[in-house]
Amino acid sequence: MKPDKQPHPDPSEREEAARVNRRDFLSSAVAAGVAAAGAGAAANASARQAAGDAQEPGAMPPTAAQEAMESEIPDGYTAGQAREYFVRNPGSDFMLDVIRQLGLEYIATNPGSSFRGLQESIVNYGGNQAPELLTCVHEEQAAAMAHGYYKVGGKPMGVLCHGTVGLQHASMAVYNAWCDRAPMMLLAGNHLEATDRRAGVEWSHSAQDCVRVIRDYIKWDDMPLSLRHYAESMARGLKIAMTPPAGPVAVVLDGHLQEAEAGDRDLGPVAVTLNRPPTGDEAAVAEAARWLLEAESPVIVADLMARDQVGVERLVALAEALQAPVVNQFGRMNFPNTHHLSQGAAAVAQADVVLGLELFDVWGVINTVRDRVHRDSVRKARPDARVISIGSNDLFTKSNYQNFQRFYPSDLSIAGDAQATLPLLTDAALSGMTPARRASNAAREARWREVHSLARGQALDDARYGWNAVPVSTARLYAELWQVVKDRDWALVSDDGAQSRWARRLWPIERHYQYIGRSGGAGLGYGAPAAVGAALAHRPEGRFALNVQKDGDMMYTPGAFWTAAYHGIPLLTVTHNNQGYHQEYMHLQRMAARRQRGIESSWRVGNELRNPDIDLAGIARATGVWAEGPILDPADLGPALARAAEVVDGGEPAFVDVRCQPR
Amino acid sequence: MSARSRIYRALGLAVPALLLWTLGCAVAWPGEPGDEVREGDEVREGGSLYISQQCWQCHGYEGQGGVAGVRIARTALPYEAFARLVRFTNLMPAYSPKVLSDEQLRQIYDYVRSIPEPPPLEEIPELDFD
Ligand SMILES: Cc1ncc(C[n+]2csc(CCOP(=O)(O)OP(=O)(O)O)c2C)c(N)n1
Ligand SMILES: [Mg+2]
Repeated sequence: MKPDKQPHPDPSEREEAARVNRRDFLSSAVAAGVAAAGAGAAANASARQAAGDAQEPGAMPPTAAQEAMESEIPDGYTAGQAREYFVRNPGSDFMLDVIRQLGLEYIATNPGSSFRGLQESIVNYGGNQAPELLTCVHEEQAAAMAHGYYKVGGKPMGVLCHGTVGLQHASMAVYNAWCDRAPMMLLAGNHLEATDRRAGVEWSHSAQDCVRVIRDYIKWDDMPLSLRHYAESMARGLKIAMTPPAGPVAVVLDGHLQEAEAGDRDLGPVAVTLNRPPTGDEAAVAEAARWLLEAESPVIVADLMARDQVGVERLVALAEALQAPVVNQFGRMNFPNTHHLSQGAAAVAQADVVLGLELFDVWGVINTVRDRVHRDSVRKARPDARVISIGSNDLFTKSNYQNFQRFYPSDLSIAGDAQATLPLLTDAALSGMTPARRASNAAREARWREVHSLARGQALDDARYGWNAVPVSTARLYAELWQVVKDRDWALVSDDGAQSRWARRLWPIERHYQYIGRSGGAGLGYGAPAAVGAALAHRPEGRFALNVQKDGDMMYTPGAFWTAAYHGIPLLTVTHNNQGYHQEYMHLQRMAARRQRGIESSWRVGNELRNPDIDLAGIARATGVWAEGPILDPADLGPALARAAEVVDGGEPAFVDVRCQPR
Repeated sequence: MSARSRIYRALGLAVPALLLWTLGCAVAWPGEPGDEVREGDEVREGGSLYISQQCWQCHGYEGQGGVAGVRIARTALPYEAFARLVRFTNLMPAYSPKVLSDEQLRQIYDYVRSIPEPPPLEEIPELDFD
């Protein structure tokens, strides 16, 4: 039973409300459109009439009044203009057809007049189904939702926004997606033809080159000037977005193209065949296999690698063939942490061959930089360790933003998609394996089993410390959350990096969908909307989506919870509320210590989210989400989580604010 | 020997080179158990310093440690090694005597040594993953 803390809008009420809103929108849209045409009083009267008639859905047969209007010539119109007074077949209907043919199921949007044509096509012509509009209260949230959605579903979402102010808002979330290789189709409304713009805001909301603000961190964009051009650019954009390394693309939707009559021309269908991911060069893969077989202690490091469970299984196959440990950097869920070959980063220090798979930072696996005034670097790996890297990074990159990390000259570098290349590598390793090498696997297995089991014991032992601490320890938070998820088909749709990686250390994570990875660009405001997007992708599978939400991050984009409530997206959000920008406390502390000034009295400045304390549960509640908290005493946590989980089981989002230890 | 040092040993990394490098010194770590646990005013004073000097930011209010700082509750390090880490480490913000006197550092050490033992695993059903 759902706890009755707060009334939830009944879904039928919500639909009714949506219907009423649609009607209202239609009335005002018709009125506004006619006023913009500069028609005289008679036309306005007709428009009001039309607005009245528009109270019924557009599919109804035309009334006599409507028919009469269609044959009349309004004041101030030529016969030719009058023919275009009503639009029979607007360009944006075709635009929608294309979106459908390309298979975009959702379009996250914050409404804007630069794409009012397409919005109307989606809701009336398309019946708001496949694609369905997701109402977002900020474009940054729309883009972050698309980011989270892709990482779970493997499918891109459309993000529809004003080409100017909308893309400006969306930009940071697009950057995160770019860094995290998450494709999305950004659809940006714009009016390029100056004489076609309405006076005032339409000028402020038009640009010569509106995509420019995000071009440094998208793969491709276009500004189509005809509908056919649009169709081909959409298909091309989707193909480019999905080709490894995947990433966002943008297509500008010209306002005039959307709103004008497309006529009866056959614009043709649009089809796209996605690229098969590129595999590494066969000879190079064979060489890599030889190196791995010759190595005394090969180690595999994987980051943005597995796209799905197939990728996980392929990596298991390679690791088992070699009995080589895998260090999962968890940019994606690459390898089951319950497997004896799942090992911590310390394993790299003893490796003689390191195989990097889709590493965000190859250099950083081998070296590190000390955080001190003199930023000298040191090699973490053995001096004689050879590095093989397989990845798609070098297949596409850009120059301005420096997310590509420090250059490392790998000893063998293979350009190609790692997930696609793995079977070739495993086959090469198996066929090149000598009996002696095979025989050595037993000893390797025994060694890694021992280390794995020691690390497991260590994690459990560490988790005891601070068990009864107030506020709640992060280990306890995850241990209590495990009680909630363990008997459900769960998926963690947040990253546990700020919570001392307790999910990775404590929970058995075996399926690709159970762990979503990180934000990519570390741009805050990612957590809540990405979690909502991910939860949406989990919804058809009936999975229990869990978002552990940092407080600072939440305050950038709390409106995402409203989107979850409005669209009935089940998601349990539990805060890691340390009442501040904790990461920045630690930086301030380092600076103050280095300068020998101390921070006893200054540590709060610029960093604390206290005095007044933020009522995070209150914020969630205000967005229509069931919420409890703040919880300080760990003893209160379990029961609160159980109540919240029931709400989520009922198909709605729920929220529990937990005051926690800093890390 | 702690599980952590057994992991390093199993990896063939008796004292990981990187760790020594980050410590910036040849402190043996994990080390021998420290002095006797003290009690009383010194410890209480150490507890207040632990908070006011912001040790908790990385090590947690109960010294439990985590991704930002190692566990220091009931540290096994001898005082000299502990002090060296706080003063000269490359890992944590180095506290010089100008901001933290030797006496204060000693009090903090006494405090973290005295943090009570957490409940044993058998008494925490939430940590039973089997
Ligand atoms: C958009 C943006 N602004 C500022 C930062 C700098 N920054 C990095 S971590 C951090 C603190 C985040 O606080 P919270 O999300 O509560 O996590 P905590 O560190 O407290 O666990 C800040 C402000 C950033 N990464 N992104
Ligand atoms: Mg915080």
